[in-house]
Amino acid sequence: MAKVGVYLCHCGENIKGAIDIEELKKYVETLPDVAVVRNYVFMCSDPGQDIIKQDIKSGNVDRVVVAACTPRTHGPIFKKAIEDAGLNGYLFEMANIRDQDSWPHWHNKEGALEKAKRLVRSAVAKVRLNEPLEDRYEDMEKSVLVIGGGVAGMFAALDLANMGLKVYLVERQPSIGGNMAKIDKTFPTMDCSACILTPKMGEVAQHPNIELITYAEVDDVKGYVGNFDIRIKKKVKYIDWDKCIGCGVCTEICPSRVPNEYNFGLNQRRAAYIEFPQAVPKKAVIDESNCLYFKSMKKTGKPACEICKKGIPPKGIQGCPADAIKFDDKDEYMNIKVGAVIIATGFKPMPKHYFKEYSPHSPDVITSMEFERILSATGPTGGELKRPSDGTKPKTIAMISCVGSRDERYHPYCSKVCCMYMLKHARILKDKYPDIKLYLFFIDVRTAGKDFEEFYVYTRELGVKVIRGGRVSVVDVKPNGKLRVRGFDVDLCSPVELEADLVVLATAIEPPDGVEELGRMFTATCGREGFLREVHTKLYPVETQARGVFIAGCVQGPKDIPESIAQARAAASATAALVIPGKIKFEAIISEVDRDKCSSCGVCVPLCPYTAIRIVEYKGKEKAYIEPALCAGCGVCASACPSRAIKFNGFTTEQILAQIDALTEA
Amino acid sequence: MEEGGVNVIDLTQGDESFVRELIALGADELRECIQCGKCAATCPMALAGLEFFIKRIVHAANLGLRDVLLEDSSVWGCQSCNRCVEICPMDIKPYEVIQAVRRAAMKVESCPANTYEGLRNLYRFGHAVFPKGFEERRKKVGLPEKPPTALSFDELRKKYQEVLKQTILEEIAPFPLD
Repeated sequence: MAKVGVYLCHCGENIKGAIDIEELKKYVETLPDVAVVRNYVFMCSDPGQDIIKQDIKSGNVDRVVVAACTPRTHGPIFKKAIEDAGLNGYLFEMANIRDQDSWPHWHNKEGALEKAKRLVRSAVAKVRLNEPLEDRYEDMEKSVLVIGGGVAGMFAALDLANMGLKVYLVERQPSIGGNMAKIDKTFPTMDCSACILTPKMGEVAQHPNIELITYAEVDDVKGYVGNFDIRIKKKVKYIDWDKCIGCGVCTEICPSRVPNEYNFGLNQRRAAYIEFPQAVPKKAVIDESNCLYFKSMKKTGKPACEICKKGIPPKGIQGCPADAIKFDDKDEYMNIKVGAVIIATGFKPMPKHYFKEYSPHSPDVITSMEFERILSATGPTGGELKRPSDGTKPKTIAMISCVGSRDERYHPYCSKVCCMYMLKHARILKDKYPDIKLYLFFIDVRTAGKDFEEFYVYTRELGVKVIRGGRVSVVDVKPNGKLRVRGFDVDLCSPVELEADLVVLATAIEPPDGVEELGRMFTATCGREGFLREVHTKLYPVETQARGVFIAGCVQGPKDIPESIAQARAAASATAALVIPGKIKFEAIISEVDRDKCSSCGVCVPLCPYTAIRIVEYKGKEKAYIEPALCAGCGVCASACPSRAIKFNGFTTEQILAQIDALTEA
Repeated sequence: MEEGGVNVIDLTQGDESFVRELIALGADELRECIQCGKCAATCPMALAGLEFFIKRIVHAANLGLRDVLLEDSSVWGCQSCNRCVEICPMDIKPYEVIQAVRRAAMKVESCPANTYEGLRNLYRFGHAVFPKGFEERRKKVGLPEKPPTALSFDELRKKYQEVLKQTILEEIAPFPLD
């Protein structure tokens, strides 16, 4: 026989204003197994909680129902009070007679009272059948995997490493640095991007707590928060990185020429290459598909070129001085155990070929990232302003915003950073070439961040022409090789056009390649726009629905460098809060399979959104098994099981049916 | 505007030296205009349907579109009410932009006919604009026929004309200054 204590909260006037507490109390006293009924003005306050604790300690009560507000905010408070008094926290139910009763039925006092009676009756019916349950604690691996070596990944890794945690930083390119390393100057401070980033790259490479693994990808994920078991694939390099000293000899003598993806094809690299001059680690890799050695081996079985290894002796040219070339190299795999993961894989700039109306076939119509490379000292022109078509210096440049962004046909979202970087490009150009003519076409000028408005006005003062009014409709290539840009100037109330030497398209920020597959490995989902989904854009911007998996930077959505760093450090903080205590709590509200009842139908397995259910051998048969650490307590499997073999602890079938009966009783 | 009915403005015809000229003629903070539209929202002449209302004038000035601006007489319609100066959040004094455009226009003799008339009246009488038959109306309400301005005081008027002769009026006046 249960001894149920029912505690009615007035919630100030919130509940008492619509529901007659005295009448409710009289009714509740008549319910079966109710030992005591009390009411108080604020049940969640200290004196209110003391009332409950007193009853438990004195033995009057061994089940608790609190009729008050919502368990979402106050459930944990009462659960803790009950546990403090010595009672199992799961022998507790809340009846929400505020959000679900007094508030919506404020003007129907009779109806509100009747509903309150039913809601409390239902909670009492359930709590009588509640069982004591225990939360579980498991040891937590005190290490973290950070995927992505861009600015967000690096800052997250550094914060975690400085907190004493072991960090594995995995990056799929040969070097860390990401998109930020490709940028010339950064707004609004006009810092040289490489100058502020390379010290951090060095710090990451040298930090004793960070194991830097580049040219590698996450291959397989097993386990769960606190105990992830992850296999990393280190891609084949054909160069022994233990020996390679980054001298660059192989990159200079390799005869193969390949379009350089780092510079978006604006210049060429060799098959043996170092990604960029400030690469960390500064080591070379060989691109097998363009290497003459491998191409000839495939065709004829005989190597036609080993210049990187052997040099060209007749000409006195030496090969690799460190004897690091390793044609028999293979992919390598390593397994790591970590407690949590941060995904910071950045973004991909949208290519121009989609936009046929802007003549993308013309070499003088380029994306803003390509323009960034042209402006960069480490880029294809050594930082000199040259038209890709003929190498001459452009005198008139048109820049077009919102190419692929704010566009239902491509990406409905705003890519956020383009307005500012267009102004930044304008400022860089006007500083170097005061007489250059610049026309910036915007829909709106979005310069909302700190110090951005000042940046905008300053750029206008340099004589940069800002044209607002919807997008440029068309860019044509004229017979003389120049580009005609046609748009509408809303402020001038007129269609406008101009002849430009160079057109720069501010294309959208897109999710990086493979992000959906990567997310799926961790059961982290992508949103409608293709970026990894946070749990709540305001309250939990760095958590994903997969416990222990966090996100930071542009993989979560377009943002600039200050925001990427802030979010990376937020993710590091949230991860540390999870990992540092050393133990992880798994709540008792999970489902369990009674394997003797299980009919092996397998219906539950694909239904689980957390991929927590596997078929496992049990007493010679294949039965369903739910991994307790992965189960999030959603109840889908329990309701779907045709054999009623799954028990959903905390919400059993008997408990739910008792609630339904209580609610529907006349 | 192109000939032949194609209504498009070629931005590369914009002249940066025109922008600098306007800045030198008093539109100091011309380039800081962010085209927010507050001036146009308060301007009584924009309400009256002026084609090149204040915001449009400032933007055309920033683009250096000398011919477009000087071909339209809207800039002479400004009533000097000063609302735009009071409301501009970037403090660029749009009225000064209008004045600068007028000054540039006068230099190239690009203004409506009644501008010259007003200028001539200003020089001769000290008033640019005055209603016809003002003497009778003044007498009717018991005021002296002539107001106590340069109209009534010859010596004052002569001194005033001396001052005016020392301004740019000497260069650009299309009528004799005697």
